[in-house]
Amino acid sequence: MICCGHMWKSGGEDLQGFYPVRSECVADVPRTRFKSRAGKTLSARRWHAAFTEDGHLDMERVLRRIQRGGIHPSIKGEVWEFLLGGYDPDSTFEERNILRNHRREQYYAWKEECRQMVPLIGSGKFVTMAVVAEDGQPLEESSVENQGWFVKTAITDKRLLQWMLVLSQIGLDVVRTDRYLSFYENESNQARLWDILSIYTWLNPDIGYVQGMNDICSPMIILLEDEADAFWCFERAMRRLRENFRTTATSMGVQTQLGMLSQVIKTVDPRLHQHLEDLDGGEYLFAIRMLMVLFRREFSFLDALYLWEGLECLI
Amino acid sequence: MSDDDERGEEYLFKIVIIGDSAVGKSNLLTRYARNEFNPNSKATIGVEFQTQSMVIDGKEVKAQIWDTAGQERFRAVTSAYYRGAVGALVVYDITRSSTFENVGRWLDELNTHSDTTVAKMLIGNKCDLESIRAVSVEEGKSLAESEGLFFMETSALDSTNVKTAFEMVIREIYSNMSRKQLNSDSYKEELSSNRVSLVKNDNEGTKTFSCCSR
Repeated sequence: MICCGHMWKSGGEDLQGFYPVRSECVADVPRTRFKSRAGKTLSARRWHAAFTEDGHLDMERVLRRIQRGGIHPSIKGEVWEFLLGGYDPDSTFEERNILRNHRREQYYAWKEECRQMVPLIGSGKFVTMAVVAEDGQPLEESSVENQGWFVKTAITDKRLLQWMLVLSQIGLDVVRTDRYLSFYENESNQARLWDILSIYTWLNPDIGYVQGMNDICSPMIILLEDEADAFWCFERAMRRLRENFRTTATSMGVQTQLGMLSQVIKTVDPRLHQHLEDLDGGEYLFAIRMLMVLFRREFSFLDALYLWEGLECLI
Repeated sequence: MSDDDERGEEYLFKIVIIGDSAVGKSNLLTRYARNEFNPNSKATIGVEFQTQSMVIDGKEVKAQIWDTAGQERFRAVTSAYYRGAVGALVVYDITRSSTFENVGRWLDELNTHSDTTVAKMLIGNKCDLESIRAVSVEEGKSLAESEGLFFMETSALDSTNVKTAFEMVIREIYSNMSRKQLNSDSYKEELSSNRVSLVKNDNEGTKTFSCCSR
């Protein structure tokens, strides 16, 4: 009855079609529970009605809606830009257009900077095999797998070497990101994910690339058509999440949150805490994934987005 | 202790799977624990667990298997991965020689963080991809020999050797445990403080790792 709810409940529109799943994978993905509900979910009509003529947005009204029923998939991308803090609701259409164009130019300038170093950036192709050894020596033998491109001279610059070393890791993760979605059957979409993650990594050498960032970035590319807009949404999301991904030789940022989780559970449910201590020493390692990619692996694509929308409203 | 008394006892072994990114660690585990292979599997973040049991000498032996992220950055939370591990599978991908070259690094890591590991196996995975093989069987074998590891080539995709590999490790641990100082109270104490035991008995004093007569 739940699965065919849209047939008899006017508000319960079937939304799966917005993010189609490859037919052979349907059995492997969690069932989506999110439904668009009339009068609760933020619809396109409500969203557009929340702007004044010159573009000021009644954010409070919008947030109330989102808290009650999430955002309709048809407008998720544009709403997320505000939710993530990318645009000021008090600005006008015109001001935002100027800002958007400026940001796009900035992104494409960074992309060009990266392309100069690795011509595969922006080519629609990407690497999954290492291009340099850890000492910076080129690895020409991987050039066949790496679309014929290879590093020609030894890399000596430390930042450049660190970046080059992680490009293949990003590639290995990109081909494994949300592969059940039809969206990623298109290799150019995989390449966009690789481009954005690679460029972000170049710009943020202190954090670098850590597995899981691909799960954070993937929805942005799906929700926002323009690659630069997707990059900026990812960058915004990472401002809130990046400390989890910060690693040193002896610690990972997410451990701070694991510690807090442990304290919370210990207080609200001491017996559960005791049980978890018996299982893994109370380090709550099982929760690393939940916290680093915000439950993306636990829920269906659409349900995870709904959850994120709820979390964004609370911040 | 009589046979009757032994029946209620359980063995629980912690085993870790390590190796470079995308060599097939998670699929080896799901093939073994659930007889499943997911061609659309995602990169492991942090650590994931599965438990699988087998019967040896009429006793139920449980393996608690820790599957880990391949990216080196996750090694920062490493000590917890290895704590109390008695078995390890070091996996490489036979089609990518870099993953084989990194085996030494993984062994160092294992030896640094775990002195309780009694059974180690080197695994060359994806042996169904013979046509693009980059590491020969002989190379794998000789590395395993020089490092004192078991060796096996596996395919999580077509199931080749997966069950055999895991069970060989579990049997080796079992026979080591049976032979060695398992009965000594100090050893039990060490294991329980390393949190090898998963199952909590009603009787708080009884540790699940115990074995045979005392």
